[in-house]
Amino acid sequence: MNIEERLSKVFATVFDNDSIEITPELTADDVDEWDSLSHINLMIAIELEFGIEFDQSEIQNFANVGELMASIEEKLAKKN
Amino acid sequence: MKVENIAYACVTRFVESGEGNREALHWVDTDLTESSYSFEYFDREASRVATILRQLGVTQGDTVSIFIPRSPILISVFFGIQKALGISCILFGTLGEEGLLDRLSNSNAKVVITRKSLLRKILAIKDKLPALQKILTIDHDDHQSDTVLSLKKLMAETKAVFDYPHMVDGETPAFLQYTSGSTGKPKGALHAHGALEDMRQSFRDIMQLEAEDLYWCTADPAWITGIVYGVLAPFGTGTRQVQYSGTYNADNWLKILENLKVNIWYTAPTALRMLMQEDENKFSQYDFSSLKRMYSVGEPLNPEIYHWGKKVFKVEIYDTWWQSETGSMMIGNHPPMMVKPGSMGKPRAGVEALICDDDMRIQPDGKQGLLCLRKGWGSMFRNYFRNEAAYAEKFNGDIYITGDLAWRDEEGYFWYVSRADDVINTAGHLVGPFEVESALLEIEEIVDVAVIGADDPILHKRIIAFVKLRNDQPWTKELELKCRIYVSNKVSTTAIPAEFHVIDSVPKNQSGKILRRVLKAIYEGKDPGDTSTME
Repeated sequence: MNIEERLSKVFATVFDNDSIEITPELTADDVDEWDSLSHINLMIAIELEFGIEFDQSEIQNFANVGELMASIEEKLAKKN
Repeated sequence: MKVENIAYACVTRFVESGEGNREALHWVDTDLTESSYSFEYFDREASRVATILRQLGVTQGDTVSIFIPRSPILISVFFGIQKALGISCILFGTLGEEGLLDRLSNSNAKVVITRKSLLRKILAIKDKLPALQKILTIDHDDHQSDTVLSLKKLMAETKAVFDYPHMVDGETPAFLQYTSGSTGKPKGALHAHGALEDMRQSFRDIMQLEAEDLYWCTADPAWITGIVYGVLAPFGTGTRQVQYSGTYNADNWLKILENLKVNIWYTAPTALRMLMQEDENKFSQYDFSSLKRMYSVGEPLNPEIYHWGKKVFKVEIYDTWWQSETGSMMIGNHPPMMVKPGSMGKPRAGVEALICDDDMRIQPDGKQGLLCLRKGWGSMFRNYFRNEAAYAEKFNGDIYITGDLAWRDEEGYFWYVSRADDVINTAGHLVGPFEVESALLEIEEIVDVAVIGADDPILHKRIIAFVKLRNDQPWTKELELKCRIYVSNKVSTTAIPAEFHVIDSVPKNQSGKILRRVLKAIYEGKDPGDTSTME
């Protein structure tokens, strides 16, 4: 599975919704259950799925899924 | 006593008096696109909704739930339900399966209005809702089945004419507002058409808007503040207002304040605390000179945030206090009162607030006790829907017991202390520990659980869960995530515990009641006090 597919699986689990379409433009405003509290769930789930860690400022500042994916790719590249 | 139907007072009367083209709502989308909606627009759309509901069999006293995010269509639907004399019940889109089921079931919802992305939640529990007859979606082009219909299609086929009684009995039920208690399921505070006048009067008394002032209430209409002071009071008084479709977003909020020249801003301490976390330089980039006053509600406005807000926005901040049950602001600060930072303010005209001890004896100034209100104000809830026993428990004779602890100083200002019960006020949402505990107990790794609230610098209170695990079950990050996701999707995102602590046993008394004060004391590193009744 590529990053997008893995991320799609994480979103489906966290928000109990497998119809969410992962696009770089997707934001919290597009997903009914995505608020500042469930955002923490999403971040923990991504950390566990990819074996990476986000710092506090990153967690608060992702403007959309595109930025989130870029950060995941960067962290995975550093890890390898 | 006959009163104006809420829909007549808020929209139709403006059309009748020739002011139908006046802007009722200035809407700002998350990309900051702006649009304008007139009173005539809402009157017309509400007539379509009312016609459709009537055709679907909705009659006086039937509940229609609104399960869509804040939007102009939500407001049209709300007024449509009022025209049809139904009972509106607006629900947060973040509610989980159990939270939604509790509310739709208790309210006996006959129709639910939702959208594609939320439809799956309704369909998942539909079989447990015998009263539910139709589901209308706002964004399907065509009907999906005999039960799931396209509101969009129906609206396009329906004339904007609906004959309805402009005057109704003041006690006619209008809307339900669900709120959590320390035990049991959420309760629906029922409000009547007759409450509108008190809501409008409180708005005039406390907000004191001038004719051309632009007003902005940031609350979601699924929250009592959002429906009363984001819809009913501003529409009912013909106030110029702006609303933003998204949730908290510092940059967009500050741009709205500046670009639209907002004069009166009603928001919440949690939002102000989140703004306080932003880079201080951000605020100097904006011009807030149009702002005349700010108001706050939801949790106590602590002095630190009050002084910060005053410094940054250069205006006075007036805290207000009220509840889903009171229907309008009961205690508050407003011009020309001198603000005592941290104080709730004083009861508004017509409201008698008292401090009582547990035996309901009135306490002298300076003494902490139960904050109570003498019955008689117009916007008081009429009942807890289908739960008269819980309603009766809130009263002692003609005294309403709010569930908050407070004290009054010698100048008549009230000071909030805490909740008197176990309900947790997190970011302005009341969460009952029972709801969170029930969800966590469904997780197989957990054998016992207790939930408390603890002080939080942003949320006012954060939810702390103490869990007892099955034998040899280790606490892992994966298990924590499982618990967090389960609570979020079962109850609501607002009910997610911020912290989990593993304990050997949950302290209970001999009758099995959780001793939350013991857990609170342990959590805060204090003496748990008398534990002689502990099991």
